[in-house]
Amino acid sequence: MYLVTAVLKPHRLEEVTSALKDLDVSGMTISEVQGFGRQRGHTEVYRGSEYKVDYVPKVRVDVVCDAADADKVADVIADSARTGKIGDGKIWITEVARLVRIRTGEAGADAL
Amino acid sequence: MITTLKLRVRDRESRRYFGAYLGGKMIGLGVVVLGMWALAWYFSTKAGAAMLSQEVTTKADDIVNPLNTVWVLVAAFLVFFMQAGFMMLEAGFGRTREISNIMLECIADTCLCGLLFWAFGFAFMFGSGNGWIGHEFFFLNGAPATYGSTGVAFLAFFLFQFAFADTCSTITSGAMVGRTAFGGDLVYSFMVSGFIYPIVGHWIWGPDGWLATMDTPFRDFAGSTVVHTVGGMIALAGAIALGPRLGRKFKRDGGGMPPGHDMILASLGGVILWFGWYGFNPGSTLSAMDYGGIGRVAANTTLAACAAGLSAMFFVYPRSRKWDTGISINGFLAGLVAITCPCYWVSPFGAVCIGALAGVIMVFGVDFVEWLRVDDPIGAVAVHGVCGIFGTISLGLFATGQYGLPGPTGADNSAPVEGLFYGGGTKQLFAQILGSAVVTVSVFAVAMVVMYAVKALGILRVSAEVELGGIDIHEHGAPAYHPEFAYMGHSAIPSGGAPHVTLPGATQGAPLRVGD
Repeated sequence: MYLVTAVLKPHRLEEVTSALKDLDVSGMTISEVQGFGRQRGHTEVYRGSEYKVDYVPKVRVDVVCDAADADKVADVIADSARTGKIGDGKIWITEVARLVRIRTGEAGADAL
Repeated sequence: MITTLKLRVRDRESRRYFGAYLGGKMIGLGVVVLGMWALAWYFSTKAGAAMLSQEVTTKADDIVNPLNTVWVLVAAFLVFFMQAGFMMLEAGFGRTREISNIMLECIADTCLCGLLFWAFGFAFMFGSGNGWIGHEFFFLNGAPATYGSTGVAFLAFFLFQFAFADTCSTITSGAMVGRTAFGGDLVYSFMVSGFIYPIVGHWIWGPDGWLATMDTPFRDFAGSTVVHTVGGMIALAGAIALGPRLGRKFKRDGGGMPPGHDMILASLGGVILWFGWYGFNPGSTLSAMDYGGIGRVAANTTLAACAAGLSAMFFVYPRSRKWDTGISINGFLAGLVAITCPCYWVSPFGAVCIGALAGVIMVFGVDFVEWLRVDDPIGAVAVHGVCGIFGTISLGLFATGQYGLPGPTGADNSAPVEGLFYGGGTKQLFAQILGSAVVTVSVFAVAMVVMYAVKALGILRVSAEVELGGIDIHEHGAPAYHPEFAYMGHSAIPSGGAPHVTLPGATQGAPLRVGD
């Protein structure tokens, strides 16, 4: 099993969610996160003075899936999240050592 | 439609329902007609006719004083509601970690101010005494039925003036947001509400105040100086004594104001203040009989706010190429502060000019405070202090020379106020400059002494640890925002709900353990 983690522009979340539903993923977890990439944040204006904001708001999506589907999930997220502009985000895939469904105690792929 | 009607007519139940409905209407109509007949007969009899012809004989005072009192009370309630506006404005411009503190400071200031004004604040300000301080009506003792010649019930007048005093002490707290210890806040508020505001107010609004009894009296209709300059100057002294919030970098050091946490709260607070100002300015006629004056003051108040909001908004746009919400809020507030003094004596055109200038002056005020490296999170010094001074002086320029003073039974225009631009010469202008300068300098000096005295006691500012960790948690036990452990999703739930599916190809696997 793999964990596909993506950090995206918040306004692309709806697209990504519906694309992942179309793919029949068993579930997804999202969180509001902040961070910077190569642009090192952005600037904002408040009461006439400009100031630097180091961390830009992003949405993080985590999907646990079967090994065979990991690449597909990552591709779907990339396609649906892409705007072609700076700050579209990143996707990375990590191996999951253990997975348990809390309600039943099922483990491994059964718990997906 | 016709077919349904036919069906209804054929249906027995429908016919019965319709009959009952029509019958009920007819009975009701009959009762009304009978009642009219009965009344007509009664008044045609001798007893009834006597009742109709009874003459209403009331003295003017029986109507005038109650009306004036009701008007002043309505205005007092509106002015009191400005507290809500101040609380929201300060909260919106503050940071999340200090909001509970701002709320309680405003609430405690209000409670404290009410009791102090009852005990001796009102006595110092509105009691007779000498030119500098009043000493009458301590604890509201010896109060007559109505205050002075106003014809307003004494306690209604007291309530109205309490709401004003409360406004002044709240303005002060705005510049001191985020780092003032609560104990220190109570101590300086005691001095502001109990002594500084009432004593300075006595000079201008007291029955025998020295500024009010000069040859050309210093005029401040609703308190650009009495409330706003005083509040703004104490705010400046407080912010200087406190020093900036930790980590605050100023514009000339390459920083800027930390952004407020909620522009919705700030905007609504600003608009609520604007609404409350309709009590503040028109209510200061203290007379419902001067209806022309009330209308003029209300319209001038509005026009100045509109002009100032726009002038501030357009004035800062070229700097950042942004339509700045925060500055625009401060803009219309600056217009309201400026028009507070001259609102009774200027024309609507004058009000627009005063407002437009105030919006720009406020921006320079914000720049100046920032240049001084003084941390004023809501702009109290620029809006209330600087524009209070400008508004007070503007009367000497824009007064039309048509209007005198409101009186309990109507306007008294026998001694009109005339400014420089309307051919009145510089007499009123000099009176305004003198009064404003004396109040500004003396209040600032006394406030510096008070603030540094509280600082010397070591209770003015919280420790660095408390400030960084959040003044709310340390001083008040809990943060203002206490999220529950639920994620507030913002996408709509599709109808029918999502079916639970597993990915195709998922295989049965033996339980895996890390380290297997």
